[in-house]
Amino acid sequence: MEIDNEILEHMRNPYNYGRIDEPSSIGIGENPQNGEKVIIYINVDESGSEATISQIAFEAIACMTTVVAGSVITKEADGLIFSKAEELIAVTLGMLENVDPEQAACSEMVAVALKAAIDGYLLSKEKGEKQTLIYKIEQSCSPQMEYSKQEERE
Amino acid sequence: MKQLFIKTHEVWLVTLMASFMSKNSETKQSLNDFSDILFRHFTWLERELIKSGLEYDYNRDSVPIKVESLRVILDNIVERLNTMELMLPNVTDDALRFRIQTDWEYMKYKIGNLADEEVTAFSAKREYKDFNLSNEATDALTLFLFEESYKEYELIMIYNYLKAHSDDDYLNKIFQILIDESFFHLKSFGQMMAEMGILAVPRVIHESIYKVESLVEFLKDGIDEELAAKEQCKELSDAVVKEAKELAEFFDFINYQENYHIALMQDALRHFEEKGAE
Repeated sequence: MEIDNEILEHMRNPYNYGRIDEPSSIGIGENPQNGEKVIIYINVDESGSEATISQIAFEAIACMTTVVAGSVITKEADGLIFSKAEELIAVTLGMLENVDPEQAACSEMVAVALKAAIDGYLLSKEKGEKQTLIYKIEQSCSPQMEYSKQEERE
Repeated sequence: MKQLFIKTHEVWLVTLMASFMSKNSETKQSLNDFSDILFRHFTWLERELIKSGLEYDYNRDSVPIKVESLRVILDNIVERLNTMELMLPNVTDDALRFRIQTDWEYMKYKIGNLADEEVTAFSAKREYKDFNLSNEATDALTLFLFEESYKEYELIMIYNYLKAHSDDDYLNKIFQILIDESFFHLKSFGQMMAEMGILAVPRVIHESIYKVESLVEFLKDGIDEELAAKEQCKELSDAVVKEAKELAEFFDFINYQENYHIALMQDALRHFEEKGAE
């Protein structure tokens, strides 16, 4: 990961890090290979024409690259209507095709956690009881090896 | 008492971070000592919570520390201690309450008299001493310090939680050694982060990390993590050896310390399995 001042600020003080007490929905993105996970908490406002993410928070049992991804993505998702949040998820996942697989896994874990939170909210409404969804990813997330890999590439 | 426990956790971290910010050796030492004492308060309050049968976790608020003047963070510590005084009557153990109260009185007196300093721990200059590191090496070092300072904080909290909930003297001795070792690493990395202008408070730890379901699995995973940490130290040492021999020596030193941690964790695992119960 190349670190500029903006990334450094996300590392130092990640946006929305923490949890929401009694959230509207919780979604979990998990890496089955190493047990790393991202938990996203959302509160939903339904007073408008479409459900809106009125508050968002995340916790990462994962590496710093995942924390940065969580900070960036939740900052973008905060205040979005569901359809826009779905677009954000799709764009994020689409961009990962060109990213180093290890780094891609970190962002993917956040994106699928957000998706799980939204889907979980909609499913809860449908079933009339709270549903917490866990979506798994397939890539391995181990950015600690990044430096040596860069060296090898050079 | 739970609220006091949480606030003690927070003021311990603020005081520790303030010690990294100071460039005056006497001020640094005082703040470092006070942070150690506040951590001990934290563990004693934890013991009281357990004795009282109260459920608790290590969740806390985020702790803002970004300042340009040391006086601002010193005043913040005093303000926090003043607020916490209102919670002190909830501590029912008279001896503990008196101890904490008198510690705080002295800390407030001493901190009130510490000289102000300009703080450069948040400058983001990302240079360490006079070493001329490449951009790649600087990024690798930055990422390492963020990852590992969190990891050491996490280990302190995990072993502290395990120790608080174990009555096995043999295991507790091992946990205490590992706590002491992680404190040294956390302080070393925190100091480096302050010098590089990238100081940050480790993020809050999710309770599933320290409320371990299986000690055996935790120790096995921990050994693997220590091996990975050794590898990272080795990589970082190799990466900076030409540009910064002193830094390379330091990472080798940390790397070799991990060997003993692994041996201790293997010992704990053997002991626990011999006991035949989990």
